[in-house]
Amino acid sequence: MDMNQYLSMFIDESNDHLQSLNENMLLLESSPSDLSIVQVIFRSAHTLKGMAATMGFEDLAALTHQMENVLDLVRNEKLAMQDFIFDTLFKGLDALESMVQDITEGGDGKADVSAIVSALQAIVRGEDPSAKPQGANAQGEARASDVNTALKLDEFQYAVLNQSIEAGHRVLYIDVHIRENCQLKAVRAYMVFELLERSGEVVKSFPSTQDIEQEKFDFSFSLYYITTKDPAELQRQIIGISEIEKADVTELDAETLQQMSEIGAASQEVAAAVAAPPAAEKGQEAPPAKPEQAPEKAAPAAKTPAKTGGAVPTRTIRVDIERLDVLMNLFSELLIDRVRLEQLSSEIQNHALTETVEHMTRVSSDLQDIVMKLRMVPVDTVFNRFPRMVRDLAKSLDKKVDLIITGADTELDRTVIDEIGDPLVHLLRNAVDHGIEPVADRISAGKPETGTVHLRAFHSGNHVFIEIEEDGRGIYRDKVLKTALKKGVVTEEQAAGMSDEEVHQLLFAPGFSTAEKISDVSGRGVGLDVVKAKITSLGGQVTIYSTPGKGTNFSVQLPLTLSIIAAMLVKMGSEKYAIPLSSIVETGIVKKGQIRAVHGNKMVEFRGSLIPLISLSRIFNIKDFDETEEEETEIIVIHKGERLAALAIDQFIGQNEIVLKSLGKYLPPIKGISGATILGDGQVALILDPNVFIK
Amino acid sequence: MGEEIKVIVFKLGSEEYGIEVDKVQTIERMLPITRVPKTYAFVRGVINLRGVVIPVIDLRGRFGLEETEYTDQTRIIIVAVNEMEVGFIVDSANDVIDLHKDKIETPPEVVGGIKAKYLDGVAKIGDDRLLIMLNLSEVLNKNEIIQLESLEE
Repeated sequence: MDMNQYLSMFIDESNDHLQSLNENMLLLESSPSDLSIVQVIFRSAHTLKGMAATMGFEDLAALTHQMENVLDLVRNEKLAMQDFIFDTLFKGLDALESMVQDITEGGDGKADVSAIVSALQAIVRGEDPSAKPQGANAQGEARASDVNTALKLDEFQYAVLNQSIEAGHRVLYIDVHIRENCQLKAVRAYMVFELLERSGEVVKSFPSTQDIEQEKFDFSFSLYYITTKDPAELQRQIIGISEIEKADVTELDAETLQQMSEIGAASQEVAAAVAAPPAAEKGQEAPPAKPEQAPEKAAPAAKTPAKTGGAVPTRTIRVDIERLDVLMNLFSELLIDRVRLEQLSSEIQNHALTETVEHMTRVSSDLQDIVMKLRMVPVDTVFNRFPRMVRDLAKSLDKKVDLIITGADTELDRTVIDEIGDPLVHLLRNAVDHGIEPVADRISAGKPETGTVHLRAFHSGNHVFIEIEEDGRGIYRDKVLKTALKKGVVTEEQAAGMSDEEVHQLLFAPGFSTAEKISDVSGRGVGLDVVKAKITSLGGQVTIYSTPGKGTNFSVQLPLTLSIIAAMLVKMGSEKYAIPLSSIVETGIVKKGQIRAVHGNKMVEFRGSLIPLISLSRIFNIKDFDETEEEETEIIVIHKGERLAALAIDQFIGQNEIVLKSLGKYLPPIKGISGATILGDGQVALILDPNVFIK
Repeated sequence: MGEEIKVIVFKLGSEEYGIEVDKVQTIERMLPITRVPKTYAFVRGVINLRGVVIPVIDLRGRFGLEETEYTDQTRIIIVAVNEMEVGFIVDSANDVIDLHKDKIETPPEVVGGIKAKYLDGVAKIGDDRLLIMLNLSEVLNKNEIIQLESLEE
């Protein structure tokens, strides 16, 4: 499975979470007793863990999990924040940051975090890790990170050096000290470089050559060097330059080179360790050295030693959504003018004009595609990571689960996509962890041993619905209420009068969790309340449909912030309305005699079943149209999911691309109207929201 | 001396009203209005003002004055307050004057049938002209409208 397409998303999101973790940790440090900050930190950490686990970055997830454990104790007031806890957590954060950095640069995000992990575990056990050393591991790591910036070889440099060794060249690590009373150390350094460049190639130096030229170094510098010359001879030559105090020349073989690059830093200790008397030269004078060759050869080799080149995330630029909005607005105006032009040209009937307008129409519809695509992303980019997640999850819980994804090509606005990932992760984890029963339970309940989770996305009207439905144990009203009472979410009296729907909504209450034991997966009581908050902030809703014993469906309704949609324009008397094409099933005509009354509601027959006939003229108080006076009425059959209804209208005008405009901030939301659009003649038409008409 | 402000003067019936010029975006002749169903009674609908959809309200209706036919003189004053853009339909608008802030006095309870809370004050201009300064935030206050609506129901 190709992870690349959401790797960049993961990196963006992780960086955001790390940023917020850092900020909030600092906040907390200044007011350690404020538990609300701990909540925020905890949620960030929790989400980060989930994302890392989904992407398969185990070290990242493991470390976050340990940090989360500590935070959980703090959150539940079982542990008071102290300086050493802060220190350890900050260390953890730093490690997380460097791992994410590594991933950004195309690495695999692996790092040895055992020291920090054990420190965190010690905190959870109630020990003070600062009291005793954390073992050699931690020290080693600390030291390594001190010199981390020193002579770290990047992938390419490593490849070059490695290749050179294979080609029989000598790779030397040279440490040069200049006398401290030297006046022009940069000049001396330059002379060393010049000497070296004459018979080989300097691959990397610390400080960088630029810094050395500007005298930004302390009388010593180190470098990696490829040559064919004898190290001892070279050392003699370097010392021969005046005011050079000392020069250590160490020859590296493939193994030591690898060690050094693994540590990520060639600290001087390391150098000293391998500095054992330059092994007796084997006198193998390598073939005529052409150092320039090395990089060329290294290029293909660069792929082998470390990560494949493809792991670097796609190059994208982040554009302020506001700019896209401006672009969209400008384009909208163009579109309105285009429609007007089309109208005019059909009136004027001038061949050249018609041709030009037609061409403009084609260009502008291409342009429209692009502008739209800038903002629209298929939900697939979010869904893609779920199969792996569900699989791993099911495995860790010892359950059998099939994830069936439908409608992955449904497109949503980028802003919504960016935000919807976390809530969906929570809901899916919830479905697998709490919804689907263990295999034994399923068999005894007479269900197939493998549970099924449906993840569906579909358009309906001006909304996109994402549903997560499983055939698990379902939600038992009594169980939910019992927990809610215990946690003090509701009172006894409230509980008695609640509808099933209201009881289901209790699952979203903060601090509510029905899982008895804390698992890695879910059940800490974060999760569902966060999910609800997030979806609400996106202008959406979550509804739960559940049948005890049969399964549960979490239905997430999201607004479709499409700015341009295809719509059917209709006329109602003198007024024009637009109905989104995505909601329309069919248009037709019914005769008066075909309309039946069922319980006082008008119904019409449509494909063998009766569907309600809705009078728009009555709902909207349209004065100059009343379908009941007509012998034949035009109808538009609309749908919301599976459910259908017919709208009675006066006349069809036709299908058109319309630009969605808001009605402005002054007007309160109007039921049944989702916005307005400007027609070719400059008039405003209102856009219907058909979902409202289907109950 | 208080500072001097520029004021757009418009008429509703025989009374003259003023709105500070920096709150006014533009003044338009009557434009085609699309009716919006199921909203406040005084909202005439929405107009297309150079690509932007803007709700327009009949100021007479808003103040509970008797509504009249629109004429050649009828204007829509587009104001922008608290990030809201709204058009006011008025009988006419044809003057801009300079006004010293000190000249604006606290209004009496009711002026020309309009409650004092919608007003910033009353200013005397010339010998016998009285200019009623509108308090736009109050005129566009939605909370108050909601209360109003619920009372009517």
